[in-house]
Amino acid sequence: MDTAVESSPLRVALVGVPNCGKTALFNRLTGSHQKVANYPGVTVERREGERATADGRGLRVLDLPGTYSLHPTTLDEAITRDVLLGRLAGAQPPELVVCVVDAVHLPIGLRLALEVKRLGLPMVLALNRMDVARRRGVTIDVLKLAGELGVPVIPTVAVRRGGADALIEILQPERWPARTVTAPASHENTAEDAEQMQADLRGLLAVAGYNPPRSNPWIARIDALLLHPFAGLLILLAVLFVMFQAVFSWAAAPMDWIDSGMAALSGYTLEHLPPGPVASLLADGVIAGAGSVLVFLPQIVILFFFILVLEDSGYLPRAAYLLDRLMGSVGLSGRAFIPLLSSHACAIPGIMATRTIPNWRDRLTTIMVAPLMTCSARLPVYGLLIAALIPRSAVGPFNLQGLVLFTLYAAGIVSALLVAFVMKQFAGARQYSPLMLELPDFQWPHAGNLLLGLWERVKIFVSRVGGIILALMIVLWFLSSYPLPPPDATGPAIQYSLAGKLGALLEHVFAPIGFNWQISIALVPGLAAREVAVGALGTVYAMSASGDDVATQLEPVIASTWSLATGCALLAWYVFAPQCLSTLAVVKRETNSWRYPLIMAGYLFALAYIAAFVTFRVVSAWT
Amino acid sequence: MSQQILVAVIVVLAAAFSVWKLMPARRRLQLLLALDAWSASRPRLAGWRQRWLKPRIVRAAGSGCDGCAANDTHPQHRPR
Repeated sequence: MDTAVESSPLRVALVGVPNCGKTALFNRLTGSHQKVANYPGVTVERREGERATADGRGLRVLDLPGTYSLHPTTLDEAITRDVLLGRLAGAQPPELVVCVVDAVHLPIGLRLALEVKRLGLPMVLALNRMDVARRRGVTIDVLKLAGELGVPVIPTVAVRRGGADALIEILQPERWPARTVTAPASHENTAEDAEQMQADLRGLLAVAGYNPPRSNPWIARIDALLLHPFAGLLILLAVLFVMFQAVFSWAAAPMDWIDSGMAALSGYTLEHLPPGPVASLLADGVIAGAGSVLVFLPQIVILFFFILVLEDSGYLPRAAYLLDRLMGSVGLSGRAFIPLLSSHACAIPGIMATRTIPNWRDRLTTIMVAPLMTCSARLPVYGLLIAALIPRSAVGPFNLQGLVLFTLYAAGIVSALLVAFVMKQFAGARQYSPLMLELPDFQWPHAGNLLLGLWERVKIFVSRVGGIILALMIVLWFLSSYPLPPPDATGPAIQYSLAGKLGALLEHVFAPIGFNWQISIALVPGLAAREVAVGALGTVYAMSASGDDVATQLEPVIASTWSLATGCALLAWYVFAPQCLSTLAVVKRETNSWRYPLIMAGYLFALAYIAAFVTFRVVSAWT
Repeated sequence: MSQQILVAVIVVLAAAFSVWKLMPARRRLQLLLALDAWSASRPRLAGWRQRWLKPRIVRAAGSGCDGCAANDTHPQHRPR
């Protein structure tokens, strides 16, 4: 494919092995805020960003999934190869390749650089993490390496401000005059090729005077403890336990502040606006609905603070290693850990991350169980029900509410393992594909990354509350208000509305599992996203109240009107229920079939109903 | 009466926004591309097309999850 280049931005592709810092460099070059983490497999699709340059031409930077070679074994690696070879539909081949190499582990990255160089595309080598390399005693003669390789070699520290200035300087488009780019041809990887490549690599390392990093005995001792089959698992459980305790203990005060603020705002609205539909829309729809979800922001922030610290420190891949045997025994690939971990934030990136799993059956199993991981959208539902129904008491040194939250997260994980095991029985025995994972170095979490990551989560949560949740609450308020009740009505107005009638119908389906008509109504808009159910409950209860008894705070209303059995049944429902249309849409896209999202929705609804039924009956009999 | 008209407008806008956000990503991208093609022949809309429409097309083309930070693009980073 020949492409004429005019004055369009210079197309630059970032290529490198997984976890060498490509995305951090991409963010540095383009000012983007793409997710960065200290483990491989974070980027599974190509991402594009632009940078304006002084000559006006600009740069178009492509961040590609990490790969160890141009002979891919997984879907994400194939994307990298296809972009470089100009095979990806609608994407022109890059005019310049920046091969990002982790200076600490130079040989692994340099091998890929040699492969890329053979394609004949103009190339710059970015020697990333040079600060860590120097601290660990790595020596590289940059000038000699550049001379031998025949391309510019630029030391960078992508996570530090100004750490990529030299690279930015060399990427100025005037240094790379526009020319016709011919897509390079692929070549077969023969045994002779591989041997030649290895010989070239050894030669390069010798010329560059590469001295490998000093091993740190302390790191070795810590790793021996964290990766111990028994002690390591105990530490992992303790870490998760502390995390969930903190979610409840630390978030209580800021949640109370937001709650009081919402109640005051609602009171102010009703006091200062004339009675009528506008005041009702604001108080019952907007504030009671969207406001009741916003209350959970502190819990989301605390949960993600812990997750980001674990990600950045390099602990998570060690957890993956620990759990590999367990996951293998139930039929999950070791590579499923990162997708399942990502699903704790949201199932969508988790399902997309399954592209790193080469075997289709393993990938499908992981996709099917990913929604069972407790995503952050469930946290407001869990938080509301636990705060309303579980006393704020201690069990020994532990917070009881934190214990229940830990149990719910554990229930999600255990159910995912059980479902994977059942799927394995249906699919028949197959060869286990072991986890091959390069353990990253331990590092102190980078404060900038941490703050940026938290800021992104806050933005996502607040924009959802102010976007889709707010819009759905306004629609629900309308459905809960109209048609108006007849003049001789005796019950609350909502009972005569469209939503009330729908709730009465659905109650027949959900009564056996203990759900009242208010919950039944809330489950419908909750199909859009799980946390919408909390807002919907806020609106429905606010609309159900009569006269001055306006329910601005949902928690005490639930505490006084629901039985413990109903609350527990709803918690059990939410461990399984696939109430997220976006997730089902992504499953359809990733599997290229309606069959799998329909199977997923069917089995998750069935599990949710059975679990809620059993929970309701058992707790009812017990209390 | 004016309160009811105001509320009706808000509800209709909210319903339209909900449908937009909940529709499949591919359908949303198709609609954006159709809007782009329609506005391309109208010079008066050039500024709006560049500022408002193009970034949304880029985001919608990224993945099925345009609410994610993963699709947050910053196309015009300051030049050095």
